[in-house]
Amino acid sequence: MKQDTVTLAHGAGGKQTAELIDRVFKSHFSNPNLTADDAAVLSAPRGRMAMTTDGFIVSPSFFPGGNIGKLSICGTVNDLACMGAKPLYLSCAFVIEEGYPMDQLEQIVSAMAATAAEAGVEIVSGDTKVAGKGQVDGVFITTTGVGEIAEGVETSGTKAAPGDAIIVTGDVGRHGCTILLARESFGIDAEVTSDCAPLWGAVKDVLDTTHEVHVIRDATRGGVGTVLYEIAGQSNVGIRLESAAVPVAPEVKGVCSMLGLEPLYLACEGRLVIFAPAAVAPAIVEKLRQGKYTADAAIIGEVTAEHPGQVIMTTEIGGETILPQPGGELLPRIC
Amino acid sequence: MSKEKMQLAREIITSYQGPKLRIMEVCGTHTHEIFRLGLRKLLPEQIDLISGPGCPVCVTQVGFIDEAIMLALEHHVTICTFGDLVRVPGTKMSLADARAKGGNIKVVYSPLDAVDYALEHPEEQVAFLAVGFETTTPAACMTVDRAKAEGITNFSLLTANKTMPRAYEALKNSADVFLYPGHVNAITGTQLCEELAENGISGVVTGFTPMELMTAMAVAIKKSQEGKPFFVNAYPRVVTREGSREAQNLVAKVMEPCDTEWRGLGIIPGSGLKLREEYADWDARLKFKLPKVTGKGNPACRCGDILQGKCKSTDCPLFGKACTPEHPVGACMVSNEGACSAYYQYGMD
Amino acid sequence: MCVGLSAKVVKISDGTAVVDAMGAKREVSVSLLNELEPGDYVMVHAGVAIAKITGDDDEESDAVLEGLL
Repeated sequence: MKQDTVTLAHGAGGKQTAELIDRVFKSHFSNPNLTADDAAVLSAPRGRMAMTTDGFIVSPSFFPGGNIGKLSICGTVNDLACMGAKPLYLSCAFVIEEGYPMDQLEQIVSAMAATAAEAGVEIVSGDTKVAGKGQVDGVFITTTGVGEIAEGVETSGTKAAPGDAIIVTGDVGRHGCTILLARESFGIDAEVTSDCAPLWGAVKDVLDTTHEVHVIRDATRGGVGTVLYEIAGQSNVGIRLESAAVPVAPEVKGVCSMLGLEPLYLACEGRLVIFAPAAVAPAIVEKLRQGKYTADAAIIGEVTAEHPGQVIMTTEIGGETILPQPGGELLPRIC
Repeated sequence: MSKEKMQLAREIITSYQGPKLRIMEVCGTHTHEIFRLGLRKLLPEQIDLISGPGCPVCVTQVGFIDEAIMLALEHHVTICTFGDLVRVPGTKMSLADARAKGGNIKVVYSPLDAVDYALEHPEEQVAFLAVGFETTTPAACMTVDRAKAEGITNFSLLTANKTMPRAYEALKNSADVFLYPGHVNAITGTQLCEELAENGISGVVTGFTPMELMTAMAVAIKKSQEGKPFFVNAYPRVVTREGSREAQNLVAKVMEPCDTEWRGLGIIPGSGLKLREEYADWDARLKFKLPKVTGKGNPACRCGDILQGKCKSTDCPLFGKACTPEHPVGACMVSNEGACSAYYQYGMD
Repeated sequence: MCVGLSAKVVKISDGTAVVDAMGAKREVSVSLLNELEPGDYVMVHAGVAIAKITGDDDEESDAVLEGLL
């Protein structure tokens, strides 16, 4: 019997569970390494590996430019890519609220399959639990991934050095802006879509250009501003940011100026911040600008020995100011 | 072209060598922009830039937050508010804390959205927290005017609206030149500023773009060297001498002056606005029979002195220790536009 | 104190207008202004157009600074 919603029976481990797995998950995720056994059996890569895990609870679960499924693949793929690792295998665990529409679940799973295929990663293991109505909000997904680190590549948040240029791979704040508009009823209408994208291809472009890359980090919660502070702290260096050089889509600027928000603190889900020696940075940018998700890549600043731990911004009037540290709930500033 | 002008303004500002000059930016949005642009760091030593009391969130009395929380938690009223107020500490808690305790706190962009929300949720009682100066008050007045005209009974206003004229009087010894809040003047016009100049209080109506702020600052510095009180409207593309008659009339129709407390400054007679009797049905205080509330702030907090330019944020014993943007104690740390918050976030020098 | 947004009027109907700021659109009240036409720029605060904008800040600063010299 075909049901339109997920029920507690789908999580009970019996016949309905098997049906749900067959109908929704297997049909989309099918690959030779995904079997009915208790664990996936895989060949180990030759060199070093990277491994990461991430939980996704975005509300609403569908938004312009993606859904929680696409996001759950991008998040983990991008975390691996930041370590210079080619994503190989992913596992995913679902917690689904009782009564969740089956067709929406299918859309989520189908987006996951498409994104995984694009990123060249196999989903080899999964789990499904159904929670009672109200115990979770829609669907929660956790993905875990492993990847193979390219030889001779060593990136880390501790490796930023004075003389590095700082590159951002595209315009900032679009995911955060999209979710804000979808979630809050501020009555603002703007054609903003999430930047959510799998970025292994972009990292590969960078590594094909040079292995002289010190830091790659994906800007997620807290946006590019948060990444800059993280790196300044981890590497104990100063950062000088050219505020005019930070790419921001006009619509995002418009929304931010309506609500008194700063685009640098809005979440991204498809943007990398790359630290590399100034000498190789232009070649990286040039290569990135030919990429599918990185056409607006730009150098936005540099690493300095002065002001360790701080991000200094050059402003429109030729002044200098500290970029305030992001923190707390983002609240519109109006009155 | 505009680069040249920016350069000219910059030269006037940085080359000042006259006597000590105290300039007060009254408006919190100016404070925020001045810090964001790093304008303070361009100023020569003799110029003191003081952040005045024009951040409605900063000067909103502690008791107002307590009243809002009472509405939310005891009367189960849905609170619609500007995002600015959510983290402001009341005597016991903030609206964010009240939300965690089950209070229904909604952040809106416009007061008018709160009325729409009330119409969409007839089963709820909805109150909008009306804070703000002359610029914001007309929007609040529109809500009750509409509610009265359309007979909307599940909406009310909790008012803490304030007006600037008496505050200028109270602060006249705190600064040599005021940078007037351009958007307040867009509503009120500039006649009051002209009168103030006649009474020895100088000021420049200031816009909000980097160019406008630099220009106004250059004007303030240049004119003060002429040695006589002055007034300049440096924001004429938005501010006219008359201001908005429509807004003035609307506010006069819906509200009337009252005495009000300014957080940090105390009671300034006639500097507040409350709903007129004809709108009593939409006055949350009357509708829910709220008791008189006197909120208690932290006695060590020096926000009052800071707002009057008597001391700097860094002189306060709580600053950066007990009082931070994450855990604000005083008014000036609470809002993103507050002087202490700006000092803290943009560096202490 | 009063975050203002400079926005272009796109459509006007009965006391409200749709305004556009760099592609972000919102309906705002224009009941405080008269003689407004699509294409005009207004200063918006908290969902209300509080003033018509009569020029850009460049020309304005030109004029103001000129008056100073």
